[in-house]
Amino acid sequence: MKTQFLRTLRRLGFLFLAATAPVVVGSAGWIAPLHAEEQALKGGTLRVALLGDMTNFDPQQFSTVNFHLIKNLYDSLIEYTDEGEAVPSLATAWAIAPDNQSVTVTLRDDVTFHSGAKLTSADVAATLAKAADPERGKNVYATMSIVKDWTTPDEKTVTINFKSPAPQRQITDLLQFLIPIEAAGIATVETVPAGTGAYLLDSRAVGQGLTLKANPNYWRKGQPIAEKIEFTIFSEDASASAALESDAVDIVYGGTSRSAVRLQDAGYQVLRGPGPLVQIFRINSTRPPFTNAKFRQAFNYLMDREGMLRVGYAGLGEVVALPWAPASPAFDAAYTDEFAYNLDKAKKLLAESGLTPAEQSNWKMLVWGSDEPTVVISQILQSALAEAGINIELDVRQGAEYTEALLAGNFDATFGAVGNVQKFPSRVATNSIYRVVKNPVLKDPHPHPDYVAAIERVNTTSGSDADVKAAYDNLNRVLVTDAFAIPTNSYDTGLIVASPKLGGLALDIDNLFVARTVGFQ
Amino acid sequence: MKKIASRKLSILGRLLASKGSALALIFLVGITLAAIFADFLPLNPVGQKLANALKGPSATNWFGTDELGRDILSRVIFGARTSLVTAGGAVMIAALVGVPIGLVAGFFGGWRDAALMRFVDVLLALPAILFAMAMIAVLGRSQAAALIAVGLTGIPSFARITRAQVLTLRKRDFVTAVEAFGGTATYNMFRTILPNSWSPIFVQVVVLCSVAILLEAALSFLGVGVPPPTPSWGEMLRTGKSYLHEAPYYAVLPGIVLTLTILSFDVLGRALSGLLEGHRDPIIAPKGEGATP
Repeated sequence: MKTQFLRTLRRLGFLFLAATAPVVVGSAGWIAPLHAEEQALKGGTLRVALLGDMTNFDPQQFSTVNFHLIKNLYDSLIEYTDEGEAVPSLATAWAIAPDNQSVTVTLRDDVTFHSGAKLTSADVAATLAKAADPERGKNVYATMSIVKDWTTPDEKTVTINFKSPAPQRQITDLLQFLIPIEAAGIATVETVPAGTGAYLLDSRAVGQGLTLKANPNYWRKGQPIAEKIEFTIFSEDASASAALESDAVDIVYGGTSRSAVRLQDAGYQVLRGPGPLVQIFRINSTRPPFTNAKFRQAFNYLMDREGMLRVGYAGLGEVVALPWAPASPAFDAAYTDEFAYNLDKAKKLLAESGLTPAEQSNWKMLVWGSDEPTVVISQILQSALAEAGINIELDVRQGAEYTEALLAGNFDATFGAVGNVQKFPSRVATNSIYRVVKNPVLKDPHPHPDYVAAIERVNTTSGSDADVKAAYDNLNRVLVTDAFAIPTNSYDTGLIVASPKLGGLALDIDNLFVARTVGFQ
Repeated sequence: MKKIASRKLSILGRLLASKGSALALIFLVGITLAAIFADFLPLNPVGQKLANALKGPSATNWFGTDELGRDILSRVIFGARTSLVTAGGAVMIAALVGVPIGLVAGFFGGWRDAALMRFVDVLLALPAILFAMAMIAVLGRSQAAALIAVGLTGIPSFARITRAQVLTLRKRDFVTAVEAFGGTATYNMFRTILPNSWSPIFVQVVVLCSVAILLEAALSFLGVGVPPPTPSWGEMLRTGKSYLHEAPYYAVLPGIVLTLTILSFDVLGRALSGLLEGHRDPIIAPKGEGATP
């Protein structure tokens, strides 16, 4: 009996071992590459698929068409971790004055530009001068609005003075946004890169692609790993995905959410960065019927945000009723619940607006026809409006035709995106939708003075946490009350879909492609 | 009159006698009736059910649903209306402008012919799709704009065919006879020559219908056709191609219907051409004068 029992036990033991062996072996195989990846990523040529050509090499242009280049050809003064912690890059230290009126930045002394010249404070000063120039500062110009002037006490030190005490996060945001350009190359930076980045420009074929080669004098030891990056432009997302699946490329950068979800299911790596964009229903509140506040506020409840996220972005993102990513200090999830899709509440506000049905329907929604998600979510809103008794037409325009109408403010309402939603809250005011002065659509003076005041309060509150939170809360409430921009959802820009054979994939805080850590396993 | 009616019946009979043209005719009649009476069918081409998005063909949704949960079959049928109206309107514009141009050019010849034909050559030199896109850029994106744009691209073919037909008839005895009896140029063009030129023009109407449907679909596919949510086959192909992996039926089924429609018009046009050329028209005399053999 005892022998029988032992035999059974032994058999069970064998069965257990047999059953768990694959798991153990599999685990070993799973763990091993992780260590291998950390220890020995191999170099080679990284082949990256893009969906559009770059516009220029100016790091102050800072738009999605340059996202694949900026952090490879250039470095920032400081960087953020995914959690928003500021870490050194070209600056080894940054000391904020006790009165928050200035910051003193110390530069590394082992950095050279691609030309071979050493990085000095004169280069940073020249970069600041370009950024502060309304003609040349491009996307960085608005961020420079807090800067009064700057000095360069020595070759490795730059002191930036502010117009008024600036909150710490606003200061580090500025430093993260400052990408030193070689002073001698500033005049030609649009066509000739002049940075300190891990890669140098090798060649470019306009409309076809671009090749970068490793910078042999790069200051980060052991980087970059890949010796070469070949960017190839594909006209269609489907073509880029097919190229990845047929091993013609190693990475698709900036593809659609839907392709990313499909390819993830097929075993490819998908990397979502910490810097999403937020989709906004942008209202021209200077035109009727949008001059009516109640009418605008109804749109807070007319957005089927869940549906828009699911259909437009394959569910990759978050529904939001405020223009902040969850990592933003002003993010408040309660607003998402408070302003969930609710046709009854919307109808009540529409009735309170006092507008006739004809007046409520007397506008068109401008739609960017080249962007599939926008076309889809515009139709979702159009359908919700029809249920609320508002029948409008979509004014679908392609490419330049759309941009022209947008820049001229020649529209009633349209969907558009804002970035920097994970940073200091007033950074959102650098986007044309939320700009407080020289707003291309709302013009000067801004038609919503309480919003301007709320931004000013956020910018000038650097006291206790309670004071700062109160300023953020006030801004959030003003945003939904003024309702000239209705956020719907966050979504990923600069999505990376990569072959399983790659390791070290990274995106920076703004979802810019960082290739220096990427290698082959 | 009786003769003409019986001849028409004879052509229809011979069309139906051929399997290919009979099938094409039945398909076109079916799709046209569906498009005309779509409002009376239990279909909703714009009703969204987001929770029901991209579902495959089923008993409820025979062609499946699109990314917004709309019934694809409904959109195909209402899309037929868009395509047929655009094609019909475009062919009408092309014929109304092109036929008189060809008639005047062929009848008078000389500087009128040269001027009108150079105008037609200019139209012909412009690639149809580019010309249509330029027209839409000027007129704005709407069904009317698409209709006009497609119609203008069809003018040269009507003008050239009519002119060629007029040139063959211009020196015929019955035309000379009408002139000798004091018939004016207008009378001769519209009452003597035109009624005897209908056969190739009618074939051209059928052929141009397929071209117009294809062009309208191409414009929608390029994103400059009828604006959403109005269903259009080209727009369905455009959106559906983005979902080829997840929902292949989305692009394939409207694509099949579009292909069959164009194919049917072509088959019909070819059959008509054969039938009408095989049996030359008896000369149709102006009203009240009887037909000359």
